[in-house]
Amino acid sequence: MSRYWSDLQPGETFATGQLTLDREAILDFAAEFDPQPYHLDNAAAEDSIFGGLCASGWQVTALMMRLLTDTLHQQGVPVMGIDSVPSLRWKAPVFVDDTLQGKVTIRGGENNSRQAGCGRTHMDITVHNQDGRPVIELNAVLLVAHGEHSDAA
Amino acid sequence: MQRKPYIRSRWWEDIPVGEFHVFGSHTFSELEIIEFGERYAPEIYHTDPVAARDTLHRGLVASGWHLTATWMRLMVDYMERFARGVRDGRRNGAGMGLEDLEWFVPVRPGHTITFTYEITEKPERVVRDRWGIIRSRNEAYNQYNELVMRFNIDILAERNPGVEDGGALAE
Repeated sequence: MSRYWSDLQPGETFATGQLTLDREAILDFAAEFDPQPYHLDNAAAEDSIFGGLCASGWQVTALMMRLLTDTLHQQGVPVMGIDSVPSLRWKAPVFVDDTLQGKVTIRGGENNSRQAGCGRTHMDITVHNQDGRPVIELNAVLLVAHGEHSDAA
Repeated sequence: MQRKPYIRSRWWEDIPVGEFHVFGSHTFSELEIIEFGERYAPEIYHTDPVAARDTLHRGLVASGWHLTATWMRLMVDYMERFARGVRDGRRNGAGMGLEDLEWFVPVRPGHTITFTYEITEKPERVVRDRWGIIRSRNEAYNQYNELVMRFNIDILAERNPGVEDGGALAE
């Protein structure tokens, strides 16, 4: 059963699935998108502000989106992308073999968006590691299809 | 003749508000969009060019996070060109956070995106005793000169240990 834009209620909360980031995944992303020493090299990373080899902050944001959309799909929500991120903080590094999970609270939304057939849904999202420590905190505005567009999902 | 200092080898104190750079351009291929989609955003409008036609996007579009990741790559490459010989990982500042990240129009296969960077502010705040904050406004334009993405980001730059800070707030 699908849950469209108007079915998402302010105050609703849910947890996403979990995802573990291994060394190879961190190095792969860094080599392609963020080739800085602390994402590629153990020795340089230990000497850096992070204190160890860690994932690019942009890999963490991409994985946040993956966790979020996978979970929304399981709920039957036709996510059509992301509209905006009013604010985001990187709170702690993500190290090799850390396990990430998101906690989401729906804050409300607007009936319309730049994308025809979609409304906007505002969410507060925290992604934390296996120790419960937040690694990113953000407000995000997602594009969610209206019910009349059954071809959306 | 005095040589110009390399961009990434400058201290926080020496980086001026108003500085503007064009990091460069990148053309997003269909294959790249699909590869990124399969790993990080497995929606059919990021991974299946045919099925994508029947979605509200009416065709394949790049993930918004593919754009931010590409921004990062072009920034790193750009800074490398001005930082030859600098291999001191300690000088690389981390990103602290961002504000007002917005995506305006879709990026489709074959679109060429140009990324610009302007330093807008240097908040007077010291992070962990040695870092200052550089705030920049970042924009991405497509080949039609449409704004496709914009955000402000705070990135750390190392403060000159030889300069007494003038009453800045320590974190």
